[in-house]
Amino acid sequence: MSGERGFTGEMHRYLDGEPISLDGDVRSEAEHIVNGVRDYAVSLQVPGPEVDAAVMAVVRERRASGRRRAFWRWFVEPQAVRLRPALAAALVAAVVGLTLVVARDDAGQPPEVAGTELVEPRTVLVRFEFRAPHAEQVAVAGSFSEWDESGIPLTLNPATGLWTVTLPLTPGAHQYLFVIDGNQWVPDPAAHAQVDDGFGQVNSVIVVGPRGVVRS
Amino acid sequence: MRRLILCAAWVFALGLPAPVDGQQGGIREQLLARGAPPEFALQVAEVVAAADAEGLPTRALATKALEGWAKRGRVPPERVLFVLESISANLRAGRAATTEAGLDPPPGVVVAAAAEALGRGMTPADVHAVIGAADTPEAASMGLTVASSLAAQGLERAAAVRAVRHTYEEGGGPTAVLELPSAVAGLLARGVPMSDVARQILEGEGLPLPAARGLGLGKGRPGNVPPGRGPPIEPPGQGKPKNPGDKGKPPGS
Repeated sequence: MSGERGFTGEMHRYLDGEPISLDGDVRSEAEHIVNGVRDYAVSLQVPGPEVDAAVMAVVRERRASGRRRAFWRWFVEPQAVRLRPALAAALVAAVVGLTLVVARDDAGQPPEVAGTELVEPRTVLVRFEFRAPHAEQVAVAGSFSEWDESGIPLTLNPATGLWTVTLPLTPGAHQYLFVIDGNQWVPDPAAHAQVDDGFGQVNSVIVVGPRGVVRS
Repeated sequence: MRRLILCAAWVFALGLPAPVDGQQGGIREQLLARGAPPEFALQVAEVVAAADAEGLPTRALATKALEGWAKRGRVPPERVLFVLESISANLRAGRAATTEAGLDPPPGVVVAAAAEALGRGMTPADVHAVIGAADTPEAASMGLTVASSLAAQGLERAAAVRAVRHTYEEGGGPTAVLELPSAVAGLLARGVPMSDVARQILEGEGLPLPAARGLGLGKGRPGNVPPGRGPPIEPPGQGKPKNPGDKGKPPGS
């Protein structure tokens, strides 16, 4: 507000809230202005918190968009990279080493042969059963477990006296024995065959087909 | 920090050299971890290393050493070493038989299977016959393993070889061959005399699942059924009769 719009200096100071007394028409005009401003202020609605949230959301989105743009600019434009030669050589050696490890692992796999059905090693669930109602524990150990003498434990069904376990085995021939109470090695009477173990005893043999096993 | 990364990378890169065969280099450590005397573990490792130096597959040696140690209560260490030497000799014979059969250089899986077959009484001619019928090294390996298993089940050696050859010649793959021992077991459980088993196997009668019978043997699973998820294999004599009307009929009627 200034005197250029018709306000006198005294009216200006009055409207600014200074304790000044005005006379006659000037006072009534000033009061009219004050009332008009007060009515306008009352008519204004104060925005609620939802307006703040909406505004901030827009602001954040614009900022994120700006970051993405900046990242893309950085990504597509040429950058100067500083690298110590020794560090670069070490990284190259690590990558080469990793490649050799992967290649060696692949070399250990069975050869991939077109037209055969065993290109990928699969497993078939095979159920082992052994009737020993008086045993305290029964396990199975074999070529599939690298003959770990502790064996893979079977679970007893007390009602039938049957110990059972189901194992995932790869198709092929497997030799095994049951281990009773940790010290008795016993062949499986239901195995496909019993073969000389070379140590004067026998091992049981089971040949796992892709569709499972039928025992004697 | 950079020095740390540098050192780690070099250590990783330089620490790569490892056993050639995966298992033979670790057999000494495996035996020691299982409580074997260091001298025994060393002797086993030397046998395995000697075989490896000859270019022989060593997995069978390592597995037999672990088996022998697991059975130590009744198997003295010197017996284990003797058996390992026998297996080494079988591996050499297996390699010779495999090479004579036309696989040169002989794949390790075939040599190992041939050695096992020879160790169970098969002849080099049997090995030659099975390898000749197989069209891949893996098929040859599976064929040899199954042929020796069939012989261990009681089939005559020649019949076992013939069954494997027949399966391959009729278009079956290794998976079909792997079903032969189950077929034999099923026939024996049904009371079929051993003298008739080989004939029935050749005719496809003993095979446990319809999809595996006859010329369709081993052409894949019907409907791409994954292993272990297919129709249950019921022991012979316990399945449902194909024709309910036959249920009450006496055998042979």
